[in-house]
Amino acid sequence: MPPDMHLTWHDADGVARAVAFRAGQSVAAALTSAGIREMRATRRGLDGEGRGLFCGMGVCQDCLVELDGTPNTRACMAKATPGLVVRHQPFPGVARLPAGPVPIPDDTPPPAPEAVDLLVLGGGAAGLSAAIAARRCGLDVLVVEERAALGGQYYKQPSPGLDAPPLDAQHAQGAALAAQAESSGARILRGAELWGAFEPDRIAVFDGARTRLLAPRALIVASGAYERPHVVPGWTLPGVMTTGAAQTLWRSHRVLPGRRVLVAGNGPLNMQVACELAEGGATLVAVAEAAPGPATRLKDAIAMAVADPALATKGARYLAMLARRHVPLRHGTVLTRIARSPDGALRVTLRGAWGEGVHETDAVLLGYGFLPSQETLRALGAECVFDAARGQFVPRRDDAMMTSVPGLYAIGDCAGLGGAPAAREEGVIAALAAAERLGRTVPAAIAAEGDAARRRLARHRRFQAALWRLFAAPRTGLALADPGTVVCRCEEVTKGEIDAALADGAPPLGEVKRRTRCGMGRCQGRYCAPLLAEHLAETQGRPLDDRALFAPRAPVKPIAIADIVALAETP
Amino acid sequence: MMPREAEIAIIGAGIVGLCAALELARDGAEVVVLDDAARHAGTVANAGSLHVQMQSRFIRMYPDQVPGLERSLPLYVAAARRWAELEAELGTGFELKASGGLMVAETPESYEFLARKCERENRLGLTVEMLGRAELARIAPYLGEAVIGAEFCAEEGKLNPLLANQAVRRALLAVGGLLLPESRVARIERDGAAWLLHHAGGTLRAGRVVIAAGAGTGALLAPLGLDVPTVAEPLHMNVTEATAPLIGHLVQHAERMITLKQLAAGQCVIGGGWPARLAGAEQHPTVEASSLIGNLRLASHIVPRLARLRLIRTWAGVNTTCDGQNILGEAPGLPGLFLAVPGDAGYTLGPLVGRLAAAALQGRDGGFDIAPFSAARFRAAA
Ligand SMILES: Cc1cc2nc3c(=O)[nH]c(=O)nc-3n(C[C@H](O)[C@H](O)[C@H](O)COP(=O)(O)OP(=O)(O)OC[C@H]3O[C@@H](n4cnc5c(N)ncnc54)[C@H](O)[C@@H]3O)c2cc1C
Ligand SMILES: Cc1cc2nc3c(=O)[nH]c(=O)nc-3n(C[C@H](O)[C@H](O)[C@H](O)COP(=O)(O)OP(=O)(O)OC[C@H]3O[C@@H](n4cnc5c(N)ncnc54)[C@H](O)[C@@H]3O)c2cc1C
Ligand code: FES
Repeated sequence: MPPDMHLTWHDADGVARAVAFRAGQSVAAALTSAGIREMRATRRGLDGEGRGLFCGMGVCQDCLVELDGTPNTRACMAKATPGLVVRHQPFPGVARLPAGPVPIPDDTPPPAPEAVDLLVLGGGAAGLSAAIAARRCGLDVLVVEERAALGGQYYKQPSPGLDAPPLDAQHAQGAALAAQAESSGARILRGAELWGAFEPDRIAVFDGARTRLLAPRALIVASGAYERPHVVPGWTLPGVMTTGAAQTLWRSHRVLPGRRVLVAGNGPLNMQVACELAEGGATLVAVAEAAPGPATRLKDAIAMAVADPALATKGARYLAMLARRHVPLRHGTVLTRIARSPDGALRVTLRGAWGEGVHETDAVLLGYGFLPSQETLRALGAECVFDAARGQFVPRRDDAMMTSVPGLYAIGDCAGLGGAPAAREEGVIAALAAAERLGRTVPAAIAAEGDAARRRLARHRRFQAALWRLFAAPRTGLALADPGTVVCRCEEVTKGEIDAALADGAPPLGEVKRRTRCGMGRCQGRYCAPLLAEHLAETQGRPLDDRALFAPRAPVKPIAIADIVALAETP
Repeated sequence: MMPREAEIAIIGAGIVGLCAALELARDGAEVVVLDDAARHAGTVANAGSLHVQMQSRFIRMYPDQVPGLERSLPLYVAAARRWAELEAELGTGFELKASGGLMVAETPESYEFLARKCERENRLGLTVEMLGRAELARIAPYLGEAVIGAEFCAEEGKLNPLLANQAVRRALLAVGGLLLPESRVARIERDGAAWLLHHAGGTLRAGRVVIAAGAGTGALLAPLGLDVPTVAEPLHMNVTEATAPLIGHLVQHAERMITLKQLAAGQCVIGGGWPARLAGAEQHPTVEASSLIGNLRLASHIVPRLARLRLIRTWAGVNTTCDGQNILGEAPGLPGLFLAVPGDAGYTLGPLVGRLAAAALQGRDGGFDIAPFSAARFRAAA
């Protein structure tokens, strides 16, 4: 490793130390590999500890650090560079004077939005596939992807600059898809964030240097999903992160989340990640799966195998690998509590029909399913309905993936979890529909691919349906929380405070938010609002309709005012 | 159980309705407050700025309204003090701070205009003073170089409306007031000497009624033959991430639409009247790109350091506009119906307007002559 690959870390007490990293790694990966878990302080200091890496994908806003003087920067989204000064983030930060000149306001309205045929939000499986198909239909396509690498959550590409070979076929397929998108003629903005969806033809994107207002004639949203929170005592402790965060650490940055790792959740991703980390050298303390074992649901296991033998085999291989490594895999088991033990480890309580057990570990991975990232869809007025079986709001779509808003399409995980293969097919279908809508004649060969995509999609959906029946498990909601457990991570609102607000006149969601601040935080209520909505539905019988969630508002994610007012000139 | 009878019914659980109810309930009256789930309400969306000095922008734009503004000035002074009293009475802090307010000028011409306004306000009994660049650099170093001077009003300040609203609501419940927060009143009907309120949960018969329904007031009165032209005005707000103490005052601009300040918890709140959009009567108002960008461009121009902060949230709420003045007192020709709609900066005025409405209903002198604020003025104009 070149000697200059170091950044300087200042801990909460201001003590500095050098942290080595590999080219391409994120700041969060560098800190994690150095064993640094707590990255920021909280306002209330409720657990006696701060926060660290949690979602690993830029959503939760917990891994905030001060980066070269800029406070509250997400460590998971920032690249480590030699000489970088990274500080433990106190609460609140200090905003220093901007270096450059300050914008002089003029009274001219913002520039007219740039026109584009098709805007694709998200460069994951769904978005890339849509962009490629749309280009083949001759559309002018712009893809906006927040990350530096294309590929999204399934393909999780190595972070750009990381000198590491692909780990497996999943990596290689992702690289191929990204390359195909790059050469398709689509314009791809990487490291660009869509921060405001005001109207379908008024979309604000920060491209890394400036804000651009866009007026797409059609918009395909492929913004993916994030992990459903598992609210138990101690779930906010540094070292507790989502399964996806750990997977990103490993697949994109080649960093293990800890030496000893415990995985708890519901769904196949947990077993896959457990295997990947074990292969990478971690000691798997235990894997807890909420659903009962596959042997108790043979019918669904068989249906799954029929729908997609290859994927089902992959699942069986993971099980075999865990057994070979003697990783205790417990079905029908839920993680109920996490605490800090005196020696600094995390002490985790697992509970199942078999009883209760306590394990010590360095990192805890929580993977209790996903919630679709549909903030952009909702902001644009797409009607959403509650899918009671999966416990999530999903946009209403027609066969062509179009939402209730004409010209606005939703594909992939943001429309309800369907897996990467389905996401790719949906991308093709939506792109063809958008091309037709914009008056293009779709060449016969491509139209035929659309038909094939529909057939394959039907099969993927059968597979998914069987998969989720196999993994069906009750959602715990707020039932495992103590009165002191934080429910809203961002605003540090506890279950007890929410209960107190609810006991005082059974107020609706908006009023609970105003009384407790639950949902007013940096993540825009992504984690707490769906939980609260379901809780209100259960306790007050409120309908889970469009009004059950907070009104979606800009910004989609926090963005510096300087970046908002730095408006691009219309070309 | 839904009550069917009440001595006094109040339509609107905004700050005005709650405060009127609190005053009446404290005097022993049986009070029921009905609200429409705060769908279009200023109280749940406002920024908590306590405004006192006159808006130089309005004086320029609407010279004909100057007599009205001057007449109302003492009410704003009293209203800001009423808030401080209320915080003390309720014994719950709501982060109220008389931090003082600055109305900033960027040009000599604008500064001169402020200076004349300052002189006039002094004559009307308000303590205000002009500050030049050097004094500003001392007391408000956060202001950018574009600002050449400001008018300072010590009576101005801020509070946290989320805390204040809860404190008032709890106080009302504690003295026996009844709150029906999801009971929109569809129609008011005369029933002998009393009034029937047909609402979402049934019908309530009330001896006397206070209409404190903000932008919903006009629609309730029109079927009764009284024209009160209240208009729903959707407005935009921005809030940043928390930062160390930065902005000490309530800051406004002499010529442009902006208010900004910092909350006790460190977030900076930026607003000042930029429009939002009302897609429909049942919809939440939505934010507009042009307001978001314009408002923040101006904010970071006045306080350059703001550019370094992240915008965390925006929201939109519904303000009520009419002619800038309070609408207070018994509705002409509708005995037993009392109106309580505040003028501009209605949250500042809320507790005072609630108190004046309660006094009017009780036939007491509330300490101000409310005759000029009667809804009769709309009739005369028609
Ligand atoms: C954390 C996580 C881990 C997963 N791991 C696996 C796995 O190992 N195996 C498996 O089979 N399935 C996995 N899945 C499911 C699988 O990833 C999905 O089914 C598949 O990736 C869906 O593709 P997509 O294109 O819909 O979404 P994604 O792949 O999530 O792509 C969405 C993209 O949109 C971008 N984006 C979102 N909002 C914005 C914005 N405002 N501005 C700019 N860009 C934005 C994101 O950065 C992201 O790259 C995982 C899902 C998640 C959430
Ligand atoms: C974004 C924004 C920021 C603001 N900032 C400030 C500020 O910083 N300082 C300041 O002084 N002022 C501010 N204001 C103005 C201030 O909020 C309002 O003037 C004030 O809250 C009005 O109080 P109210 O009680 O009269 O009316 P509202 O708060 O509007 O309440 C009226 C209530 O009546 C209910 N209602 C209406 N019709 C019916 C019906 N038919 N049946 C039952 N109930 C009904 C509504 O649901 C509503 O809850 C702001 C306003 C907005 C929108
Ligand atoms: S968890 Fe982020 S706002 Fe509640």
